[in-house]
Amino acid sequence: MNKLNYFTQLKALMRKEVQQILRDKQLLFLLFFMPILQLFIYGFALSPEVDRLRLGVVDHASSTVSRALTAALVVNDVFELKESGGRDAALAALVRDGALDAGLIIPADLERRYRAGLKTNVQVFIDGVDANSAGIAAGYVSQILASFNRNLSSGSQESREIISPQISFAYNPGLISSWFFVPGVIALVLNLVSTLVSSAALVREKDSGTLEQLLMTPVSSKQILLAKIVPLAALLMITVAVALLVSVLVFHVPFRGNLLLFLFVSFLAVLVGISIGIALAAYSENQRQSLLTSFFINLPVIQLSGAIAPMESMPEFFQYLSYLDPLRYYVICVRALLLKGGGFSEIWIEVLSLSVYAFVLLSLSSSRFRKQLK
Amino acid sequence: MKKVLAQIGKEIAQFRRDKLTLALAFFLPFVALLLYGYATRLESKNILVAVKNFDTGSLSRDYIDTLFSTGQLQAAPFRGSGVDIMEPLDKDGVKAAIVIPPEFSRKVSRRERAQVQVVIDACDVNNARVVKNCIIASTNYFLRSKDLQTTRNLISPQVRLWFNPGRDEALYVAPGAIAVILWIFPCLLAALAMAREKEQGTILQLYASSLSSFELIAGKTIAYTLIALMQAALIISASFLLFGLRFVGDITVFFLSLVLFLYSAVAFGVFAGTRATTQSAAVQIVATTGFTTALLLSGFLYPLRNITYPLSLISNVLPARYFVSAARNAFVRGSDFGSQLYIPVSIAIAAFVLYMAASKILRRMQLKG
Repeated sequence: MNKLNYFTQLKALMRKEVQQILRDKQLLFLLFFMPILQLFIYGFALSPEVDRLRLGVVDHASSTVSRALTAALVVNDVFELKESGGRDAALAALVRDGALDAGLIIPADLERRYRAGLKTNVQVFIDGVDANSAGIAAGYVSQILASFNRNLSSGSQESREIISPQISFAYNPGLISSWFFVPGVIALVLNLVSTLVSSAALVREKDSGTLEQLLMTPVSSKQILLAKIVPLAALLMITVAVALLVSVLVFHVPFRGNLLLFLFVSFLAVLVGISIGIALAAYSENQRQSLLTSFFINLPVIQLSGAIAPMESMPEFFQYLSYLDPLRYYVICVRALLLKGGGFSEIWIEVLSLSVYAFVLLSLSSSRFRKQLK
Repeated sequence: MKKVLAQIGKEIAQFRRDKLTLALAFFLPFVALLLYGYATRLESKNILVAVKNFDTGSLSRDYIDTLFSTGQLQAAPFRGSGVDIMEPLDKDGVKAAIVIPPEFSRKVSRRERAQVQVVIDACDVNNARVVKNCIIASTNYFLRSKDLQTTRNLISPQVRLWFNPGRDEALYVAPGAIAVILWIFPCLLAALAMAREKEQGTILQLYASSLSSFELIAGKTIAYTLIALMQAALIISASFLLFGLRFVGDITVFFLSLVLFLYSAVAFGVFAGTRATTQSAAVQIVATTGFTTALLLSGFLYPLRNITYPLSLISNVLPARYFVSAARNAFVRGSDFGSQLYIPVSIAIAAFVLYMAASKILRRMQLKG
């Protein structure tokens, strides 16, 4: 076969492929609408913020100091004052039923002891069901009371303690929670879309029997596969661009890194997704089977990648397991490129690992698919 | 009634025949429980912190020991000269860097102010807060223990965490995971079964039969609710074994809510199945509308109050949101019967609406007469 002929055939096949995908509403939805939808839901729904906790106060002292104390807890929106029931038991019941997140009981002798210079304990109880939020809320209570005491003794809230740590936050000084989730969702959605679209595009031909027809034509199995992969990769790079645009325009996530490097790692992630899609198609008889099997792969791949819950918080065993997860490397790269502005020197290990995964998975899955064609 | 029973028998027979469906019903939920329950943690332990100590005295060493005494932070080598405090971040997984100035011990022992520089990697916002709180708390503890405090803390809080004093995150994640899993999978199976009838055209036979749309949906939903109950038994007993969950307090509300919740999941699946023409379309409807909302808008991972308006409105009509509360009440909080009756009531309303919606769609398709 001469070279010219080879490329004409390839071009024709690719044109057919693009037309077929663009005609399919379900695939179009996945390619272009899904990333927008997912980014919006994840970006606006997930936030570990600890504020507006519902606080009930039973103030037995009912004095200037006790009222100032309540005000200090509420002033920066960490707590929100709610009806407390007026008695200790009623307040406790409200917290137990989950109607309040925290309770504060101020003893009757607060003012007297304060005037006498004696130490007084106030009781604070926090609903600990959400272990993480409760821990942070407990920290806030101590800090608010420390500054309240400073205010009482010196009239200034500013710390005059001998050791005062000057704490600053790098990469996300405003602690905007969507900046953590959005890069993760880019990775998650790209994984979902690429596996689903590519498996659908391949298995459809099997399902409807057109694959046999294609095989009767003079094109080789290699050409058939190549004509599938190239247009898919191109379309999925548009998905990447859409996701990046939404992240930057809607969530104002900074883009501090190198755009070319971002596109390159995204391309690798797309190849990994397509390989998974090809493998799904190779092992399935029909669309239903490949779609259902994709759950068995995508669930662990996404869950272990650190896209939603931080990788560092996972138990050690799962952290090691995540090295087997190609998406893990992409998540790290996207966070680094968007938030940290690092270049190749910071993430070369991840880029290299992702390349190896892309290469190995693509060769394995395509050889498996081609074997089936013979 | 007989017709409904016969249909239940047929559904269960069909369900048992397909290996992939069986794996989807019992194996994948178990894997999901392991992944959500074990691998999903919000708060890190042993967060790596690099300290550069320019001081030579003993007080700075004591201070550093205090910082690492709780186990939340773990010491890591400080890579770099210490001039640029950002330098060690990101190297070997270091999440925060601390620089202690020269003369720290001398200043502190003379009761002069000494500034300690801290920079925290805030990519993970939540753990950045954890590190900050930890450093402040340790510093205050250090000042107290060395009797260095300048202000007297006349009013001090006695903070107690209720229900989960050890702050075991499994107690938070596992009940939520049970709820999410018991929404996703029953829903998916029911949607597949409904869409299969449409895809294979067998639904036309049902339309033409004497079975009313009401009976048709009753048979489908009851059959799949029975299967869902088996899934629930598997998932809940697995979480008893794996995560040490136990029932605390009233359980009637939990079991009442459970049955209604599973029924509403199945009804949602059947509804999705009636809307879709193929099984793969049904899976996609369930995955985008059911899966994502249950995972993100139910309060499973992050507090419900943080969901931005108007997304928060959607969360209010989700049965999963109510069942997450029911599970946490039953396994952790131990709420009493009366205070949580709103949960089964809300879920029952959702189930009723979904049932009516599904049967209405089917009725339109049915042959009259």
